Amino acid sequence: MTALLPAWWSRVLAAALVVFGVLLPFGFGTASGFMNATIIALAFAVMSLGLNIVVGVAGLLDLGYVAFYAIGAYAVGWFGSEFFSRVNVHVLVSPVVSELPGIHLSFLLILVAAAAICAAAGVVIGLPTLRLRGDYIAIVTLAFGEIIGVVAVNGQSISLGGGMTLTAGNLGISAVDEPYIPGIGSFGLLDLRPWYWLIFAILLVALFVNLRIRDSRLGRAWVALREDEVAAVSMGIPLVRTKLLAYAMGAAFGGMSGAFLGTYYTEVNAGQFQFGFSIFILAMVIIGGLGSIWGAVTGGLLLGYINNWLIPDVLNNLPSAFGFSFQLTQVEFGIFGFLLVITMVLRPQGLLPERRRRQELTAAIPAEDSQLSTGPEDAA
Amino acid sequence: MKKGNLAPALAVAAIAALAVAGCSSSSSTGSGSTTGTTASGNTVDVYSSLPMVGSSSAQTIPMVNGIKLALSQAGGMAGKFHVRYIELNDATAAAGKWDPSQTQANAREAATDKNAVYYIGEFNSGASEVSIPILNQGGLAQVSPANTYVGLTTSLPGSAPGEPAKYYPTGTRNYLRIVPIDSIQAASDLMVMHQAGCTKVAVANDKEAYGAGLAQLLGLEKSYYGVNIVSNTGIDPTAANFRSYAATTKTEGANCFFFAGIVSNGAVQITKDVAAALPAAKIFGGDGICTSSFTQASQGGVPASIASRIECTVATQNLPSYPGGKRFLSAYKSAYKVTDPDPYAIYGYGAMQLGLSTIAKLGANGDNKADVLKALFATRDTQSVLGTFGFNKDGDTTLKSYGVYKIATDGVPVFFETLTPTKTVG
Amino acid sequence: MVNTTTITPEPPAELPGLPGRLGDLGARTRVLAGLLAKVRGAGGLVLIAALAALPLYYGITDLVNGYQAGVVAGRPVIHHDLSKLGFNFAEGLSDGAIWALIAIGYTLVYGIIELINFAHGDVFMIGSFTAVGLWGPLGLGLSTSALGVAGGLFVTLLVTMAVTGSLNAGIERVAYRPLRNAPKLAPLITAVGFSFILQNVGLLWRGGSPQSVADLIGAQHKVFTIGGVPILRGYLLAFAVMVPLVIALTWFIGSTRAGKAMRATAQDPEAARLMGINVDSTVSLTFALGGALAGAGGLVYAVYETNVWYFQGFQAGLMAFTAAVMGGIGNVRGAVLGGLIIGVIQSLSDSRIGPEWTEAVVFGYLIAIMVLRPKGLLGEQTREAG
Repeated sequence: MTALLPAWWSRVLAAALVVFGVLLPFGFGTASGFMNATIIALAFAVMSLGLNIVVGVAGLLDLGYVAFYAIGAYAVGWFGSEFFSRVNVHVLVSPVVSELPGIHLSFLLILVAAAAICAAAGVVIGLPTLRLRGDYIAIVTLAFGEIIGVVAVNGQSISLGGGMTLTAGNLGISAVDEPYIPGIGSFGLLDLRPWYWLIFAILLVALFVNLRIRDSRLGRAWVALREDEVAAVSMGIPLVRTKLLAYAMGAAFGGMSGAFLGTYYTEVNAGQFQFGFSIFILAMVIIGGLGSIWGAVTGGLLLGYINNWLIPDVLNNLPSAFGFSFQLTQVEFGIFGFLLVITMVLRPQGLLPERRRRQELTAAIPAEDSQLSTGPEDAA
Repeated sequence: MKKGNLAPALAVAAIAALAVAGCSSSSSTGSGSTTGTTASGNTVDVYSSLPMVGSSSAQTIPMVNGIKLALSQAGGMAGKFHVRYIELNDATAAAGKWDPSQTQANAREAATDKNAVYYIGEFNSGASEVSIPILNQGGLAQVSPANTYVGLTTSLPGSAPGEPAKYYPTGTRNYLRIVPIDSIQAASDLMVMHQAGCTKVAVANDKEAYGAGLAQLLGLEKSYYGVNIVSNTGIDPTAANFRSYAATTKTEGANCFFFAGIVSNGAVQITKDVAAALPAAKIFGGDGICTSSFTQASQGGVPASIASRIECTVATQNLPSYPGGKRFLSAYKSAYKVTDPDPYAIYGYGAMQLGLSTIAKLGANGDNKADVLKALFATRDTQSVLGTFGFNKDGDTTLKSYGVYKIATDGVPVFFETLTPTKTVG
Repeated sequence: MVNTTTITPEPPAELPGLPGRLGDLGARTRVLAGLLAKVRGAGGLVLIAALAALPLYYGITDLVNGYQAGVVAGRPVIHHDLSKLGFNFAEGLSDGAIWALIAIGYTLVYGIIELINFAHGDVFMIGSFTAVGLWGPLGLGLSTSALGVAGGLFVTLLVTMAVTGSLNAGIERVAYRPLRNAPKLAPLITAVGFSFILQNVGLLWRGGSPQSVADLIGAQHKVFTIGGVPILRGYLLAFAVMVPLVIALTWFIGSTRAGKAMRATAQDPEAARLMGINVDSTVSLTFALGGALAGAGGLVYAVYETNVWYFQGFQAGLMAFTAAVMGGIGNVRGAVLGGLIIGVIQSLSDSRIGPEWTEAVVFGYLIAIMVLRPKGLLGEQTREAG
């Protein structure tokens, strides 16, 4: 299959993808429900890429990814709203926002801060798991995810002095700043296009970083650790550093996407950070194809669309479109679960599996003379 | 990406397919169903956005029933306009509860709908924080039948800095609510407990915006009514039992227990456990639990022996004595086979009725959302199943009374008296 | 993935070309990892110390400072004994017995096919619903005689176990068997999918709010008192169901042919197949047993807590899964121990720290135990490296 297409095809395709992505909003209304779902699906795709690094590439089953979503979103809540009202810091924000109390940083700064804080958090969470095998890593990461969820809810009562608390619990830190581009203006709530282009840009950055790392020494070190830890370490791969880097990178993407969602939703509510979300993102990675970059993106987009567009917008309208008054919302859970089961049973290796896994799962290839060669292999 | 691989091609194809599908349906309605005729030009759209999935559906399904009942009683018309009612769901399957993404989508859909004049929502105060700014920019009136968090409309104690202005980016208010805010409900509850002779009250809250807010206001106002609150504990609504908490209330010597929260958050279990630990204690709660799914054993509520110890407050007073009250009760019974509607059903009914009557009174201008908004804020002394009320400039109802309900032997809450607290933090 | 605990190669010196700062990080974490190894080397002592920390601390403060046991005539009554701690333990152990029943199902399934069955908690929930649903037709109510209740509950137990056992085996047949050769994590997602489906069934069956059910045995009645700690009927029921079932299961696995087949398959499925064991039906049997135990747990839950909820399985599953891993994956006794420990931690936290922090405390403890003893409390029993 790989021999069918010439080398330049992939570059043309990549360019076409980017152009298509940039032009997509012009086919829809500025406040279209489909655009809303697309923006969220793209944010999930970024998170999926992050978790893919940890679970798919490095083989560390992380069941607490929601922690990084939470930290990224709270970075926006803390550094981009009036939440810390006793402090007055303004960096590169719109004139309107400069008048408001609290810490207000430019969104790009917050994005960087979120990535950095999450990377550090990833290292902290990864440390106890270094000597654990397989599913014990799952349980420890799950534990961290839950603890962060509990802290998010109870943070309402954790005082930081001056009447300020750590979080706003289930009430939510609200009226978070919208991103502001100096000279042009702030993002609005009714025009979705700037938001779309922002998250699309973040996705492109994430893709670029992922693709470069996949083919770098670090990426191959991760795969080596995943496939055979003893052999990898014997060949000189630094176990601790490599694993921690996987956690850190995966967490950073989660934080960036979390920060974007925090500002997009204009609220950071502790109720969003439940264990179920970690499973949701894991499902995206697995359905897309573990370890595969395009698989992660596809899985993220697919489940994002199913959850935020297919079930609410399309399926829920079906009964009334046919004249029934039956409310499909009563079986929304079941439909979602059913779609998960069907997708996996029909394609267990994922939609776009990693090349290595495809080779593993493919039936034995008959050895023909023409295939027995000692020439340079296609080492993709 | 050597030698061209097909993965990105597949990805593009998938996205393109979805986009094409989305293109064709992006003009359709959002996450819900529509009822009513669709004669254009003579039609106004009324939206509701509530969490219809998961635990909250126990409360929002009755609310939607009330809304639909009001609409059908008006014949689907508001004055000379046909009303198209669009019921939206602000919850998603993956979350199982209200979701900011869905709330935003609903608000945006209503805000950009040229025929929309009225939006009933949200159920959760946290969700309203998301929808109000969007609808504010769209100039659409939002009326909530359930939010009680003070910060949405005022800057009273209990609200966060910057509230409420940060929800109204245009500077003009567009949000009203037909239920009194936490400070009034808390004051009424304190009066009830004082009357009942409570010397030590243990408060438990479900950590959500409604419960935590109510509990907080109870603490802020307790000195006005001479009630001693010995503890305010946040519980985990998903816990299997609350016996350890109940034992703690016993060691505190509490003789009364107040649950600040809604039924779906463990209310029945914690009440049973506390009632067992404190056999003589009286039990109190707000409108979140003043419904037969909490008080009636046959509906999965507390046993009758405990139900007789409960007193709770609801914003509706003696329903049959209010204009339209009897009619509402008999219509609800024939439509839904329930003799005592959930308070939230009554609130939903009241919200829809308010909208329909406001639109009708505007005559030919009933389809102009700015006029509807102005008329809503100008409401004075309108009669409804909730009593006679109007709105102040903050969008809060002028209703300052709460009805006290006790539980009859069959487990149904029965109106007992009206309380009008005189002293609140506001 | 290869089990690396038998060989711990020393990481080599820094590779050339890697940035210095990252090398620093590696050095520091290596030091930390070395410290941890020494701690672990100190053995079970540190682990026992960690586990005993909470109860010891509160026991000592209870004795020395006393605790408020009530209020008489406006003045607090202070006791200086261990009965409050005893109450915490009694509560915790009986709650934990229910987690143990569910945890056994998790651990059996994991031991045999290395799958985290996320639908297991929801099978437990269906068990509760089924049990409660049977009380009506069987005529069990508050006015039924004690003998009638005992007989009726016994029948309910058998029927519920049969239902949940077949449900679990059925899910295995539909959702996991086709994925036997798929990547290891694929069945995890079908498990999640089924979890959602079962939750929806529960939601449609009994609605979104928790539902109170008849208190058939008077679960809060005090039977006797030990050292100031009231022992309630509910506690006795929880143990009366759990202990015989665990003993029966252990006997089954240890002494019967089918049980031996289960152990063999858990150790090495390929070799088991070669020895003539029908792996497919052994796996089905394992799922059926695990499901049956979850159903038993569901019945105990309904009778002990006197409430059921469509969402109870999700939360219970999380706790039970934690217990199974804490005790050592694949180890039945470990699952029981893990369940009991979690129950006690929950009870202590609810009572001493505050219910809003209980989940965080449980998971904090879990992290501590995993750090100190990575293979679980009683060691894992799953397939050998191969």
